[in-house]
Amino acid sequence: MILNGVQIDDTFAEAFNMRGTRVIITAQNLKWAYHAASAMTGFATSVIGCGVEAGIERELSAEETPDNRPGVSILMFAMGSKVLMQQLETRMGQCILTCPTAAAFSGVESDEKISLGKHLRYFGDGYQTSKLIAGKRYWRIPVMDGEFLTEETTGMVRAIGGGNFLVLATSQQQALAACEAAIEAMKQVPNVIMPFPGGVVRSGSKVGSKYPKLFASSNDAFCPTLKGIVKTALSDDIESVMEIVIDGMTFEDIANSMKVGIEAACSLGAKGGIKRISAGNYGGKLGPHHFKLHEILK
Amino acid sequence: MTALTFTLKAKPQFKLNCGGLTPNKLADLSITQIKTLALSSNSNAPKVSDFFEVSGEDASHIIFKNTCAECDYIGHHMKNGQITVEGNAGDFLGANMRGGQIICQGNVGDRLGDMMRRGLILIDGDAGAYCGSRMIAGTIGVYGKLGAYVGFGLRRGTLLLTQTPDTQATWLDCGTHSLPFLSLMFNSFKSLKSKFAKLSSTRVQRWMGDASQNGTGEILIIHR
Repeated sequence: MILNGVQIDDTFAEAFNMRGTRVIITAQNLKWAYHAASAMTGFATSVIGCGVEAGIERELSAEETPDNRPGVSILMFAMGSKVLMQQLETRMGQCILTCPTAAAFSGVESDEKISLGKHLRYFGDGYQTSKLIAGKRYWRIPVMDGEFLTEETTGMVRAIGGGNFLVLATSQQQALAACEAAIEAMKQVPNVIMPFPGGVVRSGSKVGSKYPKLFASSNDAFCPTLKGIVKTALSDDIESVMEIVIDGMTFEDIANSMKVGIEAACSLGAKGGIKRISAGNYGGKLGPHHFKLHEILK
Repeated sequence: MTALTFTLKAKPQFKLNCGGLTPNKLADLSITQIKTLALSSNSNAPKVSDFFEVSGEDASHIIFKNTCAECDYIGHHMKNGQITVEGNAGDFLGANMRGGQIICQGNVGDRLGDMMRRGLILIDGDAGAYCGSRMIAGTIGVYGKLGAYVGFGLRRGTLLLTQTPDTQATWLDCGTHSLPFLSLMFNSFKSLKSKFAKLSSTRVQRWMGDASQNGTGEILIIHR
């Protein structure tokens, strides 16, 4: 398949089951909502080292939030419910409770609930107050700037993580330009996040390593500086490869996001140095969800 | 389905105990059964039909019409649903309440929400003495004037007022604040047939008490 002169490999991205949640963070203004959300989703690029993968989904106007203040919604994903609960509580305590004027609310309905402020309330040392409003329980915790308001729980849903595609270009600058275009387009898609810095990852990995203690290592087949010495996946004209990883609430959300991203990246075209679009997989043996590039782009 | 409606036929010469007429107690009863219910546990107690016209069938929303100060214990031990009082109410409205909401468009007597544990009570008119006495949790709003000893023995919960009550030594002024939870609460009031539906200011004077009970409840006086 060729899109604007860019070759689309006949391959697929391999993704995994995850547990996900959404939290709505509001504050006095967007500046402070972003401070809180950025801290909450910081150091959350990969479950391998961070426990969770998290990111800002989108901005919310005052009309869209429970307390009629501007805010942002964040998505957070983990490999299991226990890790998700633990990470959410830790990040709520260190990033939202601490942030001036910030408040937190559930952003997804589910029969499975996980704690948002349920345990955090004890910070109030007995002065915390519960309020049941329109069937939802909230906690008011006295803090030095006034009162911290948080919903007691948020929903936890089954989700998918690890959707991805690779951008292969003739230079580092061109690969990054294509990825930036893709990320800007993908930010408009709901229910997904791209958890890596700026949404882009340069250190794609393969399973295993020559070092026994490491279970993942550099994806040498896509490293341009190793072209001559390994079984490379790159042609002579490829000098840089970058990857965009997507976590989402459903298969359709990720597929839609990948389509939008790939089309945006390809809009720079072969003349812009974009040569190929590929995807990362493990032979289809590890992840149950396969995003076939040709089917997505139909 | 229309709300189950109790219309008072005439002002009674003595106090009526309306405590049995709550959504949770009437949920599985037919109109005929409701009409023959006794209004107290006394052997010679009057029946519901002696004083009320009964209509409608949805017991999850009960409406009292033409009621007066002789109608005590409306919403007593209520656990769920809604009660709307289109008139005045007597003493102990919402006493021992465990959930649901009561909206009274008139005045109420003494001991409003006595020992209330959960739920919401909104009063458009005035309230008598000992409003929120021995309250354990929940929210009571009074739009009008209040009698003496507001929040007597209150442990937790919120009294939302638009007028400043008489000061008491066991209620401690914690200053004026903008409380974010009020915007959520006022949003939830917007669909209600109550004066509270028009509130929007989250700026309140906050008193905490009742200190005589080591209470951590609050009286919030809205700055309009």
